[in-house]
Amino acid sequence: MDALFELLFKYRPLVFEQGELAFLAPAAVRLGLLAAAVAGALAVATYTMARGRSVLADRMVMAGLRVTLLGLLLFALLHPALVVSSVVPQQNFVGVLVDDSRSMQLVDAEGRPRSAFVADAFTPGESALLQSLADRFTLRFFRFDSRGSRIEGLHELTYAGTHTDIGTALEAVQGELAGIPLSGLVLVTDGADNGARPLTESLLPLQAAGVPVFTVGLGEETLAPDIEMGRVELPRAVLEGSTLLVDVVVTQVGFGRTTVPLLVEDDTQILAEEEVELGPEGEPVVASVRLELQRPGPQRVRFRIPVQEGERVDQNNAREVQVEVRSDREKILYLEGEPRYEVGFMRRAVQDDENVQLVVLLRTAESKFYRLGVDGPNELEAGFPRTREELYAYRALILGSVEASFFSHDQLQMIADFVSERGGGLLALGGRKAFAEGGWAGTPVEEVLPVVLSPPAAGPEGFLAEIKVFPTPAGAAHAAIQLGREGGDSRERWAALPPVTVVNAISAVPPGATALLMGNGDDLPAPQIVLAHHRYGRGKALALTVQDDWLWQMMPPLEDQSHETFWQQLLRWLVDDVPDRVAANLEVESVEPSEPVRLVTTVGDSTHIEVNDADVVVRVTDPLGGVSEVPAEWTVERDGEYTMEIVPEHEGEYEIEVSASRAGAPLGGDVTHLHVGPSEEEYFGAGRRTSLLRRIAEETGGQFYTPETVDSLADDITVTGAGVTLVEERDLWDMPALFLAMFLVLGTEWGYRRMRGLV
Amino acid sequence: MRPPSRARATLAALVVSPLIAGCDAGAAERGLDRGTGPMAQEVPPIRRPTRQDTELALRLPPADEPPGRHAFYWTRAVYSGSRGRGWGRPAWATDFPKGDRQFLIVLKRLVQLDAYDFENAVPLDDTDLRRFPVIYAVEVGHMDLTQEEVHGLRDYLNAGGFLIVDDFWGTREWAQFERNIRRVLPGRPIVDLPLDHPLFSAFYQIDEIKQVPQRDRGIYGGPTWEQDGVFPHVRGIFDDHGRLMVVINWNTDLGDAWEWAEHPYYPLEYSTYAYEMGANMIVYGMSH
Repeated sequence: MDALFELLFKYRPLVFEQGELAFLAPAAVRLGLLAAAVAGALAVATYTMARGRSVLADRMVMAGLRVTLLGLLLFALLHPALVVSSVVPQQNFVGVLVDDSRSMQLVDAEGRPRSAFVADAFTPGESALLQSLADRFTLRFFRFDSRGSRIEGLHELTYAGTHTDIGTALEAVQGELAGIPLSGLVLVTDGADNGARPLTESLLPLQAAGVPVFTVGLGEETLAPDIEMGRVELPRAVLEGSTLLVDVVVTQVGFGRTTVPLLVEDDTQILAEEEVELGPEGEPVVASVRLELQRPGPQRVRFRIPVQEGERVDQNNAREVQVEVRSDREKILYLEGEPRYEVGFMRRAVQDDENVQLVVLLRTAESKFYRLGVDGPNELEAGFPRTREELYAYRALILGSVEASFFSHDQLQMIADFVSERGGGLLALGGRKAFAEGGWAGTPVEEVLPVVLSPPAAGPEGFLAEIKVFPTPAGAAHAAIQLGREGGDSRERWAALPPVTVVNAISAVPPGATALLMGNGDDLPAPQIVLAHHRYGRGKALALTVQDDWLWQMMPPLEDQSHETFWQQLLRWLVDDVPDRVAANLEVESVEPSEPVRLVTTVGDSTHIEVNDADVVVRVTDPLGGVSEVPAEWTVERDGEYTMEIVPEHEGEYEIEVSASRAGAPLGGDVTHLHVGPSEEEYFGAGRRTSLLRRIAEETGGQFYTPETVDSLADDITVTGAGVTLVEERDLWDMPALFLAMFLVLGTEWGYRRMRGLV
Repeated sequence: MRPPSRARATLAALVVSPLIAGCDAGAAERGLDRGTGPMAQEVPPIRRPTRQDTELALRLPPADEPPGRHAFYWTRAVYSGSRGRGWGRPAWATDFPKGDRQFLIVLKRLVQLDAYDFENAVPLDDTDLRRFPVIYAVEVGHMDLTQEEVHGLRDYLNAGGFLIVDDFWGTREWAQFERNIRRVLPGRPIVDLPLDHPLFSAFYQIDEIKQVPQRDRGIYGGPTWEQDGVFPHVRGIFDDHGRLMVVINWNTDLGDAWEWAEHPYYPLEYSTYAYEMGANMIVYGMSH
C-alpha cells in the first residue's frame, strides 16, 4: 500500500506526515497566476453563457471539469513542496537494540528461529538494510535481556537471556548514548516483555529527549497449537497442613476444548492431580487445585500440564512457585461472653492442629472468667486485654456472644486497631449478645465487621430462625470453606449438613465485603449472610452469624469430618498473612545467578508501631553454606521499612535471616528463602507482542515494522529522527498523481462531450 | 479442710434464699420428729410424689420454640430399666421434674448462662438427643439399656456428647451400671478423677469429694451412705483424645441436694457442694 502511495505521490506517507506543505513560486509568478485564474474564471463564465446544442446541466459539468483542470494546473505552477526536517547523513547515531533472550530461539512455522532475521538484516556486507542504515548513520549495537549492554558484533549474541525487560534496556541504551546526536533507537525484538516495571516509566525519558524508537517485531503473534499455564495463585507462606485451593490459569490455542491433566508436584512426589477442561481458543480458564503442604520449610511446588502432541512451545506448560511452609503455632484469642457449646466444639475441632493455639477467655459469671489454652497462670489473668501489647500478642481475635458494653471505649478502639493497624484477623460469631443484639452498632468495631447490622428484633423473644447453609459462588471457590480433604463437590457436602439456627438477622454486607456462605429458612425475612469477610486496613475481618454450628459435629454420621475441617480451615485462614513485628519480604521469589533482588524488611515494636531507628542485620546463607551478614538501611521514604539488595552467585536455595533490635533490645526476626536458578519465563506469552511494540513506537514518535516492511527503516529515520538535522524542500509539482489527475479530468470532459454529442 | 470462702458463702446464700421462699411454710408447723440426726427436731413433712407424677410426660421444649432459643437445655437421659427406689416411678425420673427446675433456678444465678427454665427429658434412642450435648442420668444402678439405647448413647458420646451420671450406690448398683456402660463404650477404662482434673476447677475450686446424702438422711440425720457405698467417687471415661465423655458421681446423690436445697433442714454443706459440682460439670461440659 505504501509502495502504491509512493508511486503516485512520489514520497511515502511518513514523509507527508512529517513534512509541511509550502508553495515555492516567486511573487511575480503568483501574481501572474492570479491574473490567469481571473481570466480562467471569465472563460468559465462564458461557458455558462454559450448557446448551442448544450443544455444548462451540460455546461455546468463541463465548466466544473475545466475549473478542476485549471485548479490542478494552478497548484502545479505554484511549485508545491514538502518542507521536511531530515537528518544530516553521517552526523548522527542510531542505536540498534537486539533482543538476546531465549524466546528469540523459538521457531516459526517454517522452522526458522526468530533470531535468523537478526543475522539476515545486520550481517555486514550481506544486508541492504544494514547498508542503508550505515550509509546515513553511525550505528551502535546493543544486546538486551533483563538489561542492555553494548556489543561490537552479532557474534556476541547468545539468545540465552532468561528475562526480557524492554524498559530497562531502553533506559540503559539511552543513558549510554547520552550526549551524542541520536536520531533514534531501533528495537529488534519479539516484544515478549516480562519486566516487572511499568514500561511507561521508561518511555518518559525518551519522549522528553525526543528520541524516537523504531520497533521491529519478530515472530508470530500466535503460536499454535500450544497450551500455556499463565498464572498460579499461591500464597508465599502457608501454615503446615493447610488446605489450599490454588487457582491456575490455563490458555490453549489449536487444541479445542479438550481435557488435560494438571499435576502438582514437589521434589519427591505428586501432591495433587486434577483434570482441566480447556477453554475456547485463546481464552484463559481458571482451574482450581486442592492441595496440602505438609513438610515445613521452603518448597518449590511445580504445576504442570504434560506436553501434548504437536505443541509449539513445551516450556510454557509448567510453573514453579516458591512457598514457605511454616510450622509456627499461631495464637488466637477467643472471648466468649457466656458458656456456650461453641467453645467446647471449636476447641475440639482444632485440638489436633499443632499450628493453631486457641486461647479461650470464657466469662462464666460477672467478672469471672474461665481461661483455657493459656500459656501460663498470668496470661489473661485480669480478663480481656487492656493494653495493645497484650492484645497484639495474638494473631487473631474471636468475639463470641458478648455484648459491646462489656468493653471500655478504649478496648473497642483497640479491637478495631488490632485489625486495621496490627493486621490481625477478627472473627465475630453469632449469638444473642453479638452484632446488633449485643449493642455493637455505633461502636468503633461496627465498621470493622464485614456485615451490615440490622436493628435488633423487637419483643422479648427476639429473632430466631432455622436455616440451611449453602456456599455462594465466591464461597464455592474459596479454600477456607471447602469441606472434605479428599475433594469432590463441596456444595453437596454443605447441602448434607443439618440446619443450624441464627438469632441475628443479617442480610447485607458493606461495599467491598464478600459473602461466602448464605442461609435459607422459612422464618427468614431475607436470605441470611452466614459467613462474610473483607480486608480492613492491614488485617481482615470475618463474621460467622450462626450460633450453633456445633450441630454440624453432633448431628451428622460419626465419620463426617465437616465440622473439624471447617474450623481448622477457617482459623488457619483467619491467621493467614497476619504480619509479624519483623517481616522480611523479597520482591521476587526466584531469580537467576547474579540477578539482584531487593529485600524489604518492615520493623515494628510490640504495638506494631513502625520503628525507624532499629538495627537490622540480614544474614544470608548461600547453597554452599557460605554466610554473609549485611545491615539493612532504613529507606527514609516509609516508616519502619529497611531495604538491601542481594546478588546471589550460586544456584540453589538461599536462606535469608533477618534480625532487628533497638538499643540492644531484640525486636524480632524473620526468615525467608530465595530460589536461584534458570527461569523459563521467556517462554510464557512468547507470541509477538505487536500492540506493545506499536505503542512504544507511537508514544516516542517512531514506527513499527515487521521483517516484511522494514526496508524503509533508514529512509524513515532520516525524516523522523532527531539529532543533527537540516530543513529540506521536496518538490511536489511533479507528483505522478497530479498529472494523472489532469489527464483524468481532460479525458472525462472529452468523454462527456462524446456522450452528449457536443464534439 | 479448706475454710469456707467468700464465694462459697455467696453460693450458700444463693442456693437457699430463692428456694426457701418457695417451700411449704406451714410444713414447719406440722413438723414431724424424724430420727436423731443433726436436724432431728421439728422437721417439715415431705411431699411424696403421687401416682400421677409417675405418669410423666416427657417435657421437651414447646413445639413453637425450636431448640436454639437458649444456649443450654438441662436434659435428662430417659433410659430403660427397672423401677427406681421410690414410689414406682421410672428410675430415670427420680427427682423429676422438681430437681431439674430447682437446679436451673440456682444454676442461672450462679453461672451467667442462657438456660431454658424447664426440664427436658430425651430418650437415649431419640435422634434429637444429639441436640443436647450435655445430658444427666440418675439412678443408673437400675439401668438396663435396650440395644437401640446402647447405640444411641454410644453415637451421642462419640459425636461429642457429655454424660453426667449421679445417684447410685454400692457395689450392686455399680455393677449394673458398669455392665450397661461397658456395652456402650466397650474397652474404655473407668478411672477416678483426681482433684487436679479441670472438672474440679472449671467454675468453683473443689478440693474434696463429698458424699451427698439422700434427702431423708440429709434432713433427719444418720449415715450419709446407702447400701455399701461408704466412699463417694467421681469417676470418668475418656475418649481417644483424652476428652472426658462420662462423669460418674457414685455413692452420692447430687440430685437430691439440688431438689431439696430449699428445705430448711437439708444441710447446707451438701447442697452447696452439689451446686458447686453441678456448676462445674455444666461449665466443663460446655467448654471441653
